[in-house]
Amino acid sequence: MIDNAILALEALMDPIRLLALLGGMAVGMVFGMLPGLGGVAAVSILLPFIYYLDDYSGLAMLLGAVSVVYTSDTITSVLLGAPGSPASAPTAIEGHALAKQGQAARALCVGFLASMVGGLVGAITLFFAIPIAGPIVLLLSTPELFMFALVGLFFAASMIGKDLAKGLAAACLGLFLGVVGPASAAADFRFTFNQVYLLDGFSLTIVALGLFGVAEVISMLAAGGGITQKRMTVGSWNEGLRDFWDNKWLILRSSIIGVFGGFVPAVGASASTWVAYGHAIRSTKDKSRFGKGEIKGIAASEGANNATVISDLVPTLLFSVPGGPAAAIFLGALFSFGYYPGPRMITENPDLMYLIVWSVALTSILGAAACFVITPWLARLTSIPFAIIAAPLVLVMIIGAYQNTSTMGDIFMLFGLGALGWTMKQGGWPRAPALVGFVLSGPMEQYFWLTNQIHGWSWLARPGVLIIGSIIVIPVLVSAFKWIRARKTAVPATSNSAAEKESAADTDDSNRSIALAIAIIASVVFVYAAWEMLSFNPSSRLMPALAIVPGMALSFWLVLRGIREYRSDFMRDGSELIILAVLIVYSIAVWAIGLSIPTVALLVWMLLVRAKMRWWTAAIYGAVVFAITLLLFNVLRGDAPVGTIISLF
Amino acid sequence: MRKFVTALLATAATVATAQAQTDYFAGKSIDVIVPFGQGGATFVSAKFLEPYFEKHLPGNPKINVIDRPGGGSILGANWFEKNAKPDGTTILFTTSSTANPFVLGQQGVEYRLSDYRVAYSHPFGAVAYVSPSTGIEKAEDIKNSDTPLLYGGIAAAASDLPALLSFEVLGLDVRSVLGFSGRGPVRLAFEQGEMNIDYQFSPVYLTQVIPSVESGTAVPLWTGGAIEDGVLKGRDPIAPELPSVYEVYETLNGKAPSGIEWDAYQGIASVTYAYGLTGYMHPDVPQEVLDIFEKAVADINADPEFQAQSKKVTNGAKLNAGADTEKSVKAALSPSEEVKTYLRDLLSEKYGVKF
Repeated sequence: MIDNAILALEALMDPIRLLALLGGMAVGMVFGMLPGLGGVAAVSILLPFIYYLDDYSGLAMLLGAVSVVYTSDTITSVLLGAPGSPASAPTAIEGHALAKQGQAARALCVGFLASMVGGLVGAITLFFAIPIAGPIVLLLSTPELFMFALVGLFFAASMIGKDLAKGLAAACLGLFLGVVGPASAAADFRFTFNQVYLLDGFSLTIVALGLFGVAEVISMLAAGGGITQKRMTVGSWNEGLRDFWDNKWLILRSSIIGVFGGFVPAVGASASTWVAYGHAIRSTKDKSRFGKGEIKGIAASEGANNATVISDLVPTLLFSVPGGPAAAIFLGALFSFGYYPGPRMITENPDLMYLIVWSVALTSILGAAACFVITPWLARLTSIPFAIIAAPLVLVMIIGAYQNTSTMGDIFMLFGLGALGWTMKQGGWPRAPALVGFVLSGPMEQYFWLTNQIHGWSWLARPGVLIIGSIIVIPVLVSAFKWIRARKTAVPATSNSAAEKESAADTDDSNRSIALAIAIIASVVFVYAAWEMLSFNPSSRLMPALAIVPGMALSFWLVLRGIREYRSDFMRDGSELIILAVLIVYSIAVWAIGLSIPTVALLVWMLLVRAKMRWWTAAIYGAVVFAITLLLFNVLRGDAPVGTIISLF
Repeated sequence: MRKFVTALLATAATVATAQAQTDYFAGKSIDVIVPFGQGGATFVSAKFLEPYFEKHLPGNPKINVIDRPGGGSILGANWFEKNAKPDGTTILFTTSSTANPFVLGQQGVEYRLSDYRVAYSHPFGAVAYVSPSTGIEKAEDIKNSDTPLLYGGIAAAASDLPALLSFEVLGLDVRSVLGFSGRGPVRLAFEQGEMNIDYQFSPVYLTQVIPSVESGTAVPLWTGGAIEDGVLKGRDPIAPELPSVYEVYETLNGKAPSGIEWDAYQGIASVTYAYGLTGYMHPDVPQEVLDIFEKAVADINADPEFQAQSKKVTNGAKLNAGADTEKSVKAALSPSEEVKTYLRDLLSEKYGVKF
């Protein structure tokens, strides 16, 4: 084993291979930073090039890209608040809040180091894939996978926040978005309105980009000025290093959560990231800073997502079952080089196995180092007017969304969900539970159905199920016990009404008219959904009902509450509404007459009207942005959207 | 003999059109549209064939394999319907996942698959195997299982259809649990002991299942079969030691299979297995282009490098092209009304599929 590991290291130290690894890493860093484009896009853009290299170099190149994406996406999430990839949405929440307080350096430092640790834990897992990780994967049958999804939902409950009704309603909305498309239990296509586009359901990338990215861009554009009012100081990393050391065990625990996320086929980094984030909330005594810039949130989620993407390779290499989308493409590349992963490959090509381990370990370290080097340069971007960055940012998000199916549906969905995300944000509905609900509803339904079909109810007595179940039951019992003891000893709290007042004060910054509007919209959606649900096969109704029944009740209650609390403050956010309207008009124009003219118009509006650039600087900058957009469309997709009414490119 | 005739025809075609076709694709590029994601088996197969077509098509065109996933392959096929060029430079390379919704007339299908020309096709055989815990040692024992048979699948109307139909043909009492996200997770569930009967396609069978067979944790039973004289009764070259479903029926019942179950199985299974991966072209593509592809396919099959590589992946399965192939594919794509009704009834009554 050690011999092979050393041989593999020697093989990797070949200059061409190292260069390939670094080249892949550079591409991975760029794609990690571009919101909506992540490991999948990086790997697919590199795919044609690997065939010019030998097998080891080609695979090293892909691994360089895969293992750095979740490190560099931290930069975008923290500085711009738009998640660099769906799995870094928690980083965007906490990191961007810190950046606005001028603590970007701290957030980034912890994020990079946690990513590095996550990557190394993933590499160690791969190193012990044959004796340890493989048998664990085989122990995780459908009932255990279902229990994992439940644990995820349990942790997600910690994200609901102070306004219980809004938080739960948002979670129900997310669960509901997750059931759109094919049902796993029976041949029902749910809530597709006969649109082929919806046959696969919503894409995670687009949901994450819409709910967080678009909404953030709108607010920042409306606010004007740079991302931070203060100049960001990224000179000193000391504070971040201290935070990292204080949270080392949290990061390690999160990385292990991430590793398990990777073992579960088709449940990607986004689920385990939220679980780790929920774990950070649960294990922190003072929860008040979560959502407003809590360094522990970044430490946990960055540790987890990088560990997941690398341990995704365990089922890929041992069983030929890709653990995630990027791993699926990597599997394809292995096939093309004539390697057929599985029990035999490990014994026949041990060198390759260890080459993979070394590649991901090396990239984890070098990638974090590279991020430290480039961050001070990128941080300067945050002091220039946001409107200047917004133009390319919006276009990149469109390209990212367009990777999904390359139809106009992707672009409509991006802005439609963007509008939803913005409305939720203004109306005080937390978006994190919505995204978690979305991520978990598919696997929960699928694994529950399969489990019950295969095992009846006997699965409840399986040892694995009991062990995983104890992760939920023990903390609940402990806190119930504490609560009872506290009630016995303490004076009956009079703070009840005070707390209520506090929470009311807390939601004060939400726009009351928009809060009422979204409650009404949600009520209408849930009522319609309840009606359509009656036409499904009974087994396809369970999961939608879990989302719709409580969702409907909560929305009705929020409508009543909204009417009671109503204030005519709709126009307070009028300037943001204009930007949202512009983006929606833009997407309709792209559908009608193709990409080029509306994009030029959008650039003109953003650069001249919003950013007030001088016309000639705007012309040069706009031309460059436009050219890069077209280039990216061409390189990634081969074509950009063409108009439906007038077919202009 | 058949091979000889094909070769002769191919040679004749070459001589006849040699002049015209030397440079047909010179300076052109061919887009191969794969309506699935990049890691999927179809995409990988398209990439596998890419260099051989670049080498053997006259004029050495550049081949771009483009993935257009979505809607269980319907989105990509619909895109092809609207955008394919009638000169052979756009190819839809897909599987029965595109063919079944077309045959069953499902909603959202805009492509006219049976009007398309068939440029080439790659067999994608499948092998059924069981867990030793069933006590089954060979195909004939299938009705004497010690434990109830449990099959894991994705969706009844998609690529699981031929497997489910094979159980109907053989009259087996197999309980199927549908709703898995892919055949990989199903295989994992088999290894974990949750499932005890499974089908896997040739590359996976050769690289994943055979090691299990060798270590005694899986027992191979039969293959889907290969087309012989227009009937799906031959042995699949992927595992020539195993009988086909046709033969298993014969052994069990003492007569050749017939009737609506068999017709339905043969139609669906031949688009899934024998013509598993098919390259379709626009309906107006000139015959000349199809002849060029037929010649290129013959050259690829004769290429020693291709033979060596395909030995590894598919146990040496060869590409098909030409009039016979097109005829068989089109026949399978336009089943009789009777078969269609049977399929729709079976799917809606037994599996809750709505039409």
